[in-house]
Amino acid sequence: MDPRFSTKNLSQGFVIGIVLTTFGIAILIASFQIDKDPGGGWGARIFPIFGSIALLMVGILELRFGLRDTQARPDYIPSNILVLFGLAIGYIFLIGKIGYLLSTGLVAPMVFLVFGVRNLIGLFVSAVLCPVAYHLIFFELLGVFPPYGKWFDLLSVIQGN
Amino acid sequence: MEIFTALAGVLTNPILMLWVLAAAIIGMIVGAIPGLTASAAIAMLLPLTFYMEPLSALAFLYVIGKSGRYGGSIAAILFNTPGTAASAATQIDGYPLAQKGMASKAMKVATLSSVIGDFIGEVLLIFGVGLIAAIALSLGPPELFTIYFAAFVVISSVIGKSIIRGLASAALGVLIKMIGIDPISSEERFTFGNFDMTNGISLVPLMIGIFVLGEVFSQLEVRKNKIKIINKIDSKDNAINRLSWIDFKPCIPHIIRSSFIGSFIGVLPGMGSSIAAFVAYGEGKRRAKNMNEWGSGALEGVAAPEAANNAVSGPSMAPLLTLGIPGSTIGAILVGVFLIHGIPIGPTLFITSRELVFNLFACGLIGIALYGLIGYFCASFLGRFITKIPRDVLYPIIFLTSFIAAYASRGSLFDVFVMAVAGLAGWLMKKYDFNPAAFIISFVLAGGAEETLRQSLLLSDNGLLIFVTRPVALGFLCIAFFALFIRMRSLTHQTRKSNFNDV
Repeated sequence: MDPRFSTKNLSQGFVIGIVLTTFGIAILIASFQIDKDPGGGWGARIFPIFGSIALLMVGILELRFGLRDTQARPDYIPSNILVLFGLAIGYIFLIGKIGYLLSTGLVAPMVFLVFGVRNLIGLFVSAVLCPVAYHLIFFELLGVFPPYGKWFDLLSVIQGN
Repeated sequence: MEIFTALAGVLTNPILMLWVLAAAIIGMIVGAIPGLTASAAIAMLLPLTFYMEPLSALAFLYVIGKSGRYGGSIAAILFNTPGTAASAATQIDGYPLAQKGMASKAMKVATLSSVIGDFIGEVLLIFGVGLIAAIALSLGPPELFTIYFAAFVVISSVIGKSIIRGLASAALGVLIKMIGIDPISSEERFTFGNFDMTNGISLVPLMIGIFVLGEVFSQLEVRKNKIKIINKIDSKDNAINRLSWIDFKPCIPHIIRSSFIGSFIGVLPGMGSSIAAFVAYGEGKRRAKNMNEWGSGALEGVAAPEAANNAVSGPSMAPLLTLGIPGSTIGAILVGVFLIHGIPIGPTLFITSRELVFNLFACGLIGIALYGLIGYFCASFLGRFITKIPRDVLYPIIFLTSFIAAYASRGSLFDVFVMAVAGLAGWLMKKYDFNPAAFIISFVLAGGAEETLRQSLLLSDNGLLIFVTRPVALGFLCIAFFALFIRMRSLTHQTRKSNFNDV
């Protein structure tokens, strides 16, 4: 096997090139699924086709330069970033299921923990203060319609709906 | 004359004046916090402006952009960390001055230079923009498409370390914009049967994700790197920090020259204030009588980049207001505000909303004066205040705010999901030398570019030759390829030089 293609020796540019080229091909195929104009013109597919061809071309160029590059190795995503991203996705899921107040009360101290806050009183204050402050500013003052939880919603209980 | 009427109107409107004052303060604070940028603040505050009058909303965000650029100089001088990319050149001479106990003097020079630069840029915008709009009105779809094309190429290739990854960022921005229902034929594109995606990807959550959440991820990554703070912000000897006419006089030619450099660079889409600041610094140093002092604490070395990076602010609005092409990320965000308030941007803006545009310019002028006054007298206090903000509390609050801000734009949890994914994507883009600014600007440009391309193809019966047979269109195509060629040459030259130095 060519040592350049060993997973240990892959350069950053090569990996990025592979990703861009794959995206380019996939979007190009999807672009051709868009119907043409009834009159036979390019219609709604022309811009996606141009965009995906551009992406494919830069992907191939990146791949080519990545094969020459033996210096920059792709590094891993740090675990704290993954934890924070996981919290973000979990937070969105929780908002949809248990409403804004409760989910923010649960997630706020976790986010402070990820950023290194270890003061228990501070974490408790964040769990109470964050949902209340955001609720008052956005849902009361600005009149944004709050996201209600499907399973349980504290706001409905408080408001008696 | 219209500008004087507008100035009188704004000065006698206390609510509007309060928004402008709030923007001047918020922009300065955000710009001075290392890691936070004016773009991030504007993206986060954008949903709040949905509930404001169009002029208040635009003026609020426009002035945050201006004072944010200035605020970056405070961090550059005090913490040796530029608050914004535009202030990186200020740091070269600003921090050595602070080490000598002359932080206050350096900040006063930065304030005066920023104010003069910003005023010159704004005045050039006020007098030049009408002319550009009149020319823009005579352009047809093929010319407009080639202007968009040139903007895509210039924006993606000029900023950042890698041309290829810059172009990839622009292509990705265009393709993300294609998600949803085609506005002309109502054909679904890249929705994969998902109902939420038929409405398309909204600009607001995308921007909050890229600029705000992406920055939170970046700050988490570098959490353990402590910012080096100067122990003595001011020397005990007050005389050393008093800015006299003798100190300031040598800075004036640098300020004037740099203001024009900044204004010229500002008109070019995507060039941005950081490029203007470095060009002005280089040019100032080349012409300086005290060239040897530059880099070790010359006041002129603070004046030149600060005047240039703020002079960019006004003229960067010219392509946005006349052609609908945002020249900067702040411009891209302002496009969103115009559209949300139902104000069509482009050459017709000067016909349909002329009064609003001049009122916005007036707010800009007043905003400059306000941040200048606050900065001149309170920059040292602000510096001390910034050092007291704990980053481990600030960034979790920004994280939580970004979720509610993304939700508030359309009341949709799908938008919040888009914001979260865009946040990770924004962090990855920064980490791997992609170009988040090119991504967002291309996303904003894609709609107009597609419309003009399809109109051109209708005019030419699907023939692409229309873009080379019309002289103006051909001229813009040449500009695009020339800019790409020049950038490729300069990068190749840099690589060869660094290889030579390595040997």
